[in-house]
Amino acid sequence: MTSKLAMVVTACLLILLASPWAGAPLSGEQGRFILLELRIPRVIMGATVGAMLGLTGGVFQALFDNPLATPSTVGTTAGAALGALAVLVLLPATGPGLPLVAIGAFSGALVVTFAIAAIAASGRARINDVLLAGIAISLAAGAITTGLQFQADMASTFEAVRWSLGHLTQVGYEGISLLLPLTAVCCTVLLSQLRALESMIGGESRAHAQGVNVRRTRTLCLTAGALGVGGCVAWCGPIAFVGLIVPHLVRLSVGPARRILFPLSALGGATFLVLCDAIGRVVMPSHDLPVGVITATLGAPLLVWLVARRRR
Amino acid sequence: MNPGLQLDEVSFQAGERKILEGVSLRAEPGECVALVGPNGAGKSTLFRLLLGLIRPSDGQVRWGDTPVHELSGQARAAAMAWLPQHGLIQEAIEVLEFVKAARFRFSEGRSDSLKAAQSALQAVQAESLTHQAITTLSGGELQRVMMASLIAQDAEMFLLDEPANHLDPAHQATFYNMLSSQWASGRGILCITHDINLLTRLAPANEAARVRVIGLDQGTVQFRQQLNDPSLPEALGDLFKLRVETVEVEGRRSFLALDGDQR
Repeated sequence: MTSKLAMVVTACLLILLASPWAGAPLSGEQGRFILLELRIPRVIMGATVGAMLGLTGGVFQALFDNPLATPSTVGTTAGAALGALAVLVLLPATGPGLPLVAIGAFSGALVVTFAIAAIAASGRARINDVLLAGIAISLAAGAITTGLQFQADMASTFEAVRWSLGHLTQVGYEGISLLLPLTAVCCTVLLSQLRALESMIGGESRAHAQGVNVRRTRTLCLTAGALGVGGCVAWCGPIAFVGLIVPHLVRLSVGPARRILFPLSALGGATFLVLCDAIGRVVMPSHDLPVGVITATLGAPLLVWLVARRRR
Repeated sequence: MNPGLQLDEVSFQAGERKILEGVSLRAEPGECVALVGPNGAGKSTLFRLLLGLIRPSDGQVRWGDTPVHELSGQARAAAMAWLPQHGLIQEAIEVLEFVKAARFRFSEGRSDSLKAAQSALQAVQAESLTHQAITTLSGGELQRVMMASLIAQDAEMFLLDEPANHLDPAHQATFYNMLSSQWASGRGILCITHDINLLTRLAPANEAARVRVIGLDQGTVQFRQQLNDPSLPEALGDLFKLRVETVEVEGRRSFLALDGDQR
């Protein structure tokens, strides 16, 4: 068990460290620039976002006691998408360089986060009510997003579609300096609830009887998860499947013990996303393929395979 | 005032339906109280009130002088440990990890928690299950692990909701013997059960007077008696609307439920 764990961790770290060199060979001054200003920031961004998505997925699946829960389950992703599109459509003149889209997306995510936190903090709501509210918010935000798209011109619609695929394109370290502190805080908050979440394996009522402040744990986890993921979506767009399948993969390889599952979901999420991006770079070197396309293309069959395996 | 659970004229209403009405009850550490009554009598609701999972619509539920919903999580978990009726665990978590989770109320390191969990498993003779996945246990093994979890939480009172309901007779006996030794070590026991005969396992025949039996039906207390009360069979018969007779085998009184209303 310990040796298997060490192997998994070592493999993840090796992939993360090697990935900047995957892709077209680099040489000279230009190669140096590509490595330092494009690829390394991209890998760091991928690891940051992947870790946030993987950990949030693992925590949400535990919190909702539902294997289908994902970081987007509570609606922040849909809220962010609506915010991003509103900026793209209503302020079409904004040129590149200004992270106005990111600000719009983050505002959308914030609004949804507060709504969800308010529901979670109210005494009467059951955890499934939060799930239901998240789905309702996602559907409503999705409908408004489609409506906005219907009104928009071709250019901003194309921008919106590209945004919605998720990407890791980075120039320099601006995004990292914004996102890394946020995700670090959010991940720390999520991991601080480890013992409470361990107690919740026996159900929320039993955890309450064991001394857990269930409402507080719920609210902290939902807020930290939603906020961290909202930040990631704001900068990189919604990246599908990482938060859903990585915790399942980890569970299959090292078991459901929270103490290992959560940190390894973060590490696994980071590795999976960075690996997908590296694959994109190797397979289609001349196109900047949105990483969301690869995570979904690889992730969907992987998920089906996982489900089929479990049914047996 | 002594620590202990106290209900004063407690009522609980779910929508239009009255689940409990004017129930008063005291149970202190060191005491053993059995709650009996037909399905739907409000027994499990009473436990949820005691734990602060729900609030009474009328009356007060206190631990010592403090209303239970005002207790801190730590104080609540130090006062009461609970074995719910439906304890299905879906995660294939290791038994030791599951029992360890019950140490939540203690500010201690992981190794101390694990040590406490291990000795709790020893106390119920379940060391051999330590590293098994909890989903692979038999009903009897699972209930033993649940008891270990209560012991690991180390609360003053144990609240058990029909703990031996789906166990075979041998496992039922083992479970109540474990419960008996927990009571003997000074904990308070508050136990919901349908099977009054199992209660006789809690105390040797000469101590049966220390086991209090409270009959609950349609949300109100029907009787309060001791386990050795001569009129207990009649009271139970009224409660379940059956004829209840007793036989004495090897100095222990057993209750027999027979068909037909005795009244």
